[in-house]
Amino acid sequence: MGEYHLRIGPDASPHATILFVPPLFEEANRTRRTIVQAMRLLAEHGLLTILPDLPGQNESPTPLVDVDLSCWQQALADVARGTDGPLIVASFRGGCLIDHGAKADAWWRLASVGGASLLRTLLRARVAADREAGIASSLDGLQNRAANEPLLLAGNLLSPAMLAQLASAQAQPVEPLRSIGLGPDGVAGTSLWLRAEPGEDRAMAAAIAHDIDAWGRSCGII
Amino acid sequence: MTDHVDANLRALLADVLGLGDERAAALTSDSGLFGELPEFDSMAVATVLTEMEDRLNILIDDDDVDGEIFETYGNLLEFAERKIRG
Repeated sequence: MGEYHLRIGPDASPHATILFVPPLFEEANRTRRTIVQAMRLLAEHGLLTILPDLPGQNESPTPLVDVDLSCWQQALADVARGTDGPLIVASFRGGCLIDHGAKADAWWRLASVGGASLLRTLLRARVAADREAGIASSLDGLQNRAANEPLLLAGNLLSPAMLAQLASAQAQPVEPLRSIGLGPDGVAGTSLWLRAEPGEDRAMAAAIAHDIDAWGRSCGII
Repeated sequence: MTDHVDANLRALLADVLGLGDERAAALTSDSGLFGELPEFDSMAVATVLTEMEDRLNILIDDDDVDGEIFETYGNLLEFAERKIRG
């Protein structure tokens, strides 16, 4: 069964395609509106923008427990292969861990994060929720169990393979790459992906769209 | 050092809880956090801990974390400063 992709932009002969790789797990929901706002702005400039559902996320028919980071990397490579013309991959947070298998002309990364840090937050959320329920659990105990059984972490049922890959995943070198954070040298805005209650930031969406566009131009792609 | 940690911690809570600059600046050491701010759920606790590690360059051991440190802003700041002193 195929995955849904959100496509915004011209149907025929776009100048270039931007493949957006969302953050992982709950961080994807917190940033989705702002990413889509950035996509709309880029589409107004004649660019085709694509935001794919990763298998096991959003409207995917695939159970999350059946996938891992390698599988997501492959899925993105497949989406990239299905595009025509110049391609820029634009990744956010944990999306930067799975974007290197896609064949592209340039990469753009915002607030790249290590898999271990994402995993630590997920494990901690489980420990905190267990505590509220009066169950004693610990990071170490959960990590030991992770070797042999899937764990339910903050609503995500993750396989031992996914847990092991997350524990060691780092963003891989790609070229040409613009890797930035928030602030004066990157994108002006706040870390929406951390928000307990999802928000949106139109000015940040405009800054993202502008930075991707400028990077594409400086690479001679747009 | 205290001012720097205080400013960092306020910015972090503003980011995670979406407090906005005004509410973050208005936090006093007696301001209640967990159980007081509706945004402060178990996922937010987890996010705050990992961000504290990254932004303050500290390592937080599971055993160090009890309910008390999230009771008030003052407790959380004191905990952060204690971890930085090592």
